[in-house]
Amino acid sequence: MKSLFILLLSLFAFANTCATCHKKEAIKCSHSLHFTHQKEISLTLKAFDIKDYNKSISTLPKPKSNPSSKEDLAYDLLERKCLRCHIDVISPKNRCLACHNSHLNKNDSFRARPTQKKCLTCHNGNFIGVDFLGLFPHDFDKSYRSPLDKRGFYPKRLGGIDYHHLIKDIHAKKGFTCISCHNNKISSNWEQISCISCHQKISAKNHPSYHKKISCIACHSAWQTNSYKSILLRSDIANYNDFKRLFVSEDPYLERFLPLAIKKKLPPVMPNYLDKKLYKGIWYQGYLFRRWEHFFLINFQNKIELARPLLDFELTYINDKNQTIIDAQNFGGFVVTKPHTIIKEAKSCEMCHENDIASLPKAKIFKGALIEGSPLTKEQEKKLHSLKYKFLRAKDFFK
Amino acid sequence: MKQILFLFIATFLLAKESCLLCHKNYNDLDRYHTIKEFGCISCHGGNGKAKEKTKAHQNIVKNPARLEHAKIFCSKCHKNEIERIAKSLMNTQSGILDVLRFQFKKPPSKSFLLEKINNPKSSFVANGAISKSKGIKAIQTPYKNLVQSHFAKLCAACHINEKQSVFKTIPKRGGGCIDCHEAPTKQGEKHIKFTTIIPDKNCLKCHNRSNRIGLSFHGIYESEGYNRYKNGKLSNKLDKYRRFIKLPADIHHSKGKMLCIDCHTEVGIMGDNKEHLHMEEAVDISCIDCHKPIFKKATNFPLATKLAYLNGKVPLPKDKVAITHKKGTPIYNLQKIGKKIVFFRKSDGKALSMPLLNHLAHQQSFHKRLDCSACHSKWIPSCYGCHEIYFENARQFDWIKLKKTHGQWMELRNYLRFEDSTLAIGYNNKIMPTAPGCQVFMNIFDKNNSFKKSFISLAYGAWNPHTTNKSKKCITCHFNSSSLGFGKGIMHFHKNKLTFIPFYDSNASSLELPFNIDALNSINGEQLQGFSRKNARSFNKEEITKIINVYKCAICHNKWSDPIYEDFNKSKKLFYQKQTSCAKRLLQ
Repeated sequence: MKSLFILLLSLFAFANTCATCHKKEAIKCSHSLHFTHQKEISLTLKAFDIKDYNKSISTLPKPKSNPSSKEDLAYDLLERKCLRCHIDVISPKNRCLACHNSHLNKNDSFRARPTQKKCLTCHNGNFIGVDFLGLFPHDFDKSYRSPLDKRGFYPKRLGGIDYHHLIKDIHAKKGFTCISCHNNKISSNWEQISCISCHQKISAKNHPSYHKKISCIACHSAWQTNSYKSILLRSDIANYNDFKRLFVSEDPYLERFLPLAIKKKLPPVMPNYLDKKLYKGIWYQGYLFRRWEHFFLINFQNKIELARPLLDFELTYINDKNQTIIDAQNFGGFVVTKPHTIIKEAKSCEMCHENDIASLPKAKIFKGALIEGSPLTKEQEKKLHSLKYKFLRAKDFFK
Repeated sequence: MKQILFLFIATFLLAKESCLLCHKNYNDLDRYHTIKEFGCISCHGGNGKAKEKTKAHQNIVKNPARLEHAKIFCSKCHKNEIERIAKSLMNTQSGILDVLRFQFKKPPSKSFLLEKINNPKSSFVANGAISKSKGIKAIQTPYKNLVQSHFAKLCAACHINEKQSVFKTIPKRGGGCIDCHEAPTKQGEKHIKFTTIIPDKNCLKCHNRSNRIGLSFHGIYESEGYNRYKNGKLSNKLDKYRRFIKLPADIHHSKGKMLCIDCHTEVGIMGDNKEHLHMEEAVDISCIDCHKPIFKKATNFPLATKLAYLNGKVPLPKDKVAITHKKGTPIYNLQKIGKKIVFFRKSDGKALSMPLLNHLAHQQSFHKRLDCSACHSKWIPSCYGCHEIYFENARQFDWIKLKKTHGQWMELRNYLRFEDSTLAIGYNNKIMPTAPGCQVFMNIFDKNNSFKKSFISLAYGAWNPHTTNKSKKCITCHFNSSSLGFGKGIMHFHKNKLTFIPFYDSNASSLELPFNIDALNSINGEQLQGFSRKNARSFNKEEITKIINVYKCAICHNKWSDPIYEDFNKSKKLFYQKQTSCAKRLLQ
């Protein structure tokens, strides 16, 4: 019943102008992951070890103002920190315009195509999207806002985030944008586009049969965004001074709120992005460290894929009486990733075969938590250091 | 004899001192410097006969441990030490000043850098300092250049003779002798206490920046500044704004529970009565001093007996005592008793057995050029990109004048890492771990707040990171782009050709460099960043090829104990003559 209500509501919201012509698309969109956020929500809840994790934006329970369990905190985190990227928040007046640009008639419909900038409104920071352009977010502390420009200002930020520029995806170098691949012309299910949709002929010489089980991206991606331990703090007390150097923390609300709160001694409040009202408590996020040079191999859907620490949480909750309800508790772990940092040359043999942290069971930072997929088996581990590998590699050197 | 006479006079004078009438219940400084024997005036000056405060306090010195006062008050007994410390690096600061001179005075311009890339034969890297630094005493106001201004505004805070407690928020530093020799006091003790067992806390007051040796030794890595809470409080606070994460500590700390001073000798720290330019000239200890020790008769080294006596925990050396290889100064806590070699911990006198360097791996000829730290350090803290901004129109606290003066410095950075170090030839002509130190991107804004000039001065530094642990694997150096000095990226060796794709794009990150910021040298062996020491340099082409050629064999023969390494040249010869079993399969 509730979902039906939301569907009607969404039709109404999509309806304003676009749906008069694009009724079908409006309905399709209200079921898409971009609208329901089902994947993000269920993965996050799964990371928090919540049994009933399969939820979407319409079935997400309303968080309590005084949470006492990890469930309450997880819902609160989602609604007040993560779902800032919901379509309704990005473009409240006309949902379609969150991704598309407006056009007037049939002849200029090309204008409506989603531009890269529109995609990067949400697919930025730690997430796949900006890495396509070779961007890796700077750390939050004030001292990382470098280099100063010639006028003495901090560098210009893209969507509020400072970036390191690393090597770009080869597709980006050749002028591709997101929708060059992610469109419904190449694949009917555009969310699951794959490399072989375009690259159907690959040379057998460079792609030997013993690497058949490895996904294209595992070898051909140059780097990936790894954020070790997302340190999450919900604080209902006004400990703003601890964060004096961390105002710019990939959260536009905090960036504006914190300086003001210190100046005017405001109580700690933050909006719930679904009902758009202010509630008690602030969610801060930090990391243990972030690195671009690491990667991890795992088994996922019968292939060897890459994993990265993303939903790897250390959760703390300090309530308004300054009591610590949840104290630095660890949740979650690694998830499958498809870094969009494709290069022609691929990784070198040693990067997997001689790398202790690439194969997950050996990685010391990794304590066994995988939200998706499974770690490499012992047999696969052995194969990484097999005599066959060594012989073939040595042969390569003496050619 | 002189000392006894002095003590006698002091006791005699004390009978007449009126200080203790007001200053009641003061504790002794240590078991030698007691109030009973020394009184107050022998250290603090003043008038012990007067009974009014103003008269009694005439010419009084609050902190006689400051070097200029110590020269007067403490010289009767400690003349030698005070002379030495005055010439030591911690007082002259010539090490810091010399590196600053190197960074600010002769920076390679951007066009120079570009030329270097296009024309490998030209050389831009200025290694070594321009002339000998005269140390802190040569600095006079108004500051003539960036070096002096930078030193006064930022570095001078860690001078041994700095005024203590200028700011309440900053940990207490300086104060002369007590900068190091201050012992923790118990509750109710009003006077500071002395110790010769220097707690690590005292060293860490200063040795926590730049190459962060003090922190690394304790397994502390200065992190990117993210807050972490435990029990409702910030749990990873280094100071007000700096945060840390715990990494594996040096084995001497984690297993041996050793202090800094367990290795670092008195002469190495307090100086050898010569003015040195750099740390490596002053420090006398090295790994082999303990792990491959030279012993001499203890009776020939009265200093060893004196220091052991002052320490009070380490037994007096009676039989034989170790000396340093470099300067021949005694290491009083490493003794040979009969045939047994014993290391005594200075903090509690506990005897530890000394693992000696007779492992076969160290007797092989091919790793002779390596410094111990090249293999045995687990991680090195590296700070990439040091964006220095100087505002001429603003004011900032000046640690020499102790007030705000014109000119303000601001420091920004690019990113931090704690991973496998870049290897290069260090100051001692040996292969050592290196890290950026410092990659200066200087911007100067003039009095009208508009841009004046900018320059780039990139340098690497070699040092022992103090994260000693088990040795690295062969591949960590022999086929690793960051160890070879290329930086992080993807390195391929295909058809006898080395290629490298760096991850970092300096130009796009508006650093205006033609190479990735973590590259010390290119794959063709051209040095891209400087060293402040004359001997130091990056690997050249020949060395890079040599290192990678070993990897060809180390793919399979990946243990140092493998028989092919017994005589590697012979093994290679046999291989290329197709006389080995693997050659028959590989060289087809």
